[in-house]
Amino acid sequence: MKLENYKKIVDKNSKKEDKTKNVIIAFLSGGFMGVVGEAFAQLLETFLYMPTHEAYMYTMIMLVIVSSILTGLGFFDKIVSFFKCGLIVPTTGFAHAMTSAAMDHESEGPIKGIGSNIFKMTGSIILYGLVAAFFLALIKGVIM
Amino acid sequence: MIYIHAFIVCGLICALGQIILENTKLTPGHLNALLVIIGALLSCFGIYDILLSWSGAGASVPITNYGHLLFTGAYEGFLEDGITGLLNGIMATSSGGVAVTIIMAFIVSVFTKPQH
Repeated sequence: MKLENYKKIVDKNSKKEDKTKNVIIAFLSGGFMGVVGEAFAQLLETFLYMPTHEAYMYTMIMLVIVSSILTGLGFFDKIVSFFKCGLIVPTTGFAHAMTSAAMDHESEGPIKGIGSNIFKMTGSIILYGLVAAFFLALIKGVIM
Repeated sequence: MIYIHAFIVCGLICALGQIILENTKLTPGHLNALLVIIGALLSCFGIYDILLSWSGAGASVPITNYGHLLFTGAYEGFLEDGITGLLNGIMATSSGGVAVTIIMAFIVSVFTKPQH
């Protein structure tokens, strides 16, 4: 069979997901995550008298812990396939990428498995964030 | 009122991510790296501070906040102590979240088995 014909058949039979619907789901679930984070931060501020920036840091830590545990129990992938980007873009996606990379290579041992693979997915985030922040801060600091 | 602002800002960032994923061949890894760079850029032009004070957790929950934390740590360090301050401060503000992520990833991976 020629490659072009094969591609046509694949296109015809592969399920097409509704793009607009996915974007709306991502908007709603992402907004929900923002509201949950804000509610948690307000709780910390009212009951534990934390300063604002500290409350937001502990909100981030709470989301990281919850999503790590959900990843370990195997629920996270099912939730992501339903909520789409609403869970990938918040800090939960960062924690999920790191935890799942560590879990996948756990059988290869603590050094060669977990140690060398834990930053497999998140390494790029840290690397490019750090490089971008370094040069931007340097340029802005020198110019201003 | 701040809840509505948080909903709008966080939702829009997630919707932007979904639009990028749907229309290009980028993976979630690419997307997160791109969003961190966008966060650092917005922070550089002073937009991210406005977003944070306007929407609270709406801007501090998405991964763009990581870029913002990296940039503010580096820039404030530079203003305080020159190059030394920049190098010391670049990871200072964000180290809390990253440390917890690494510790949790280690603990979870030691105590659970991957499901197939």
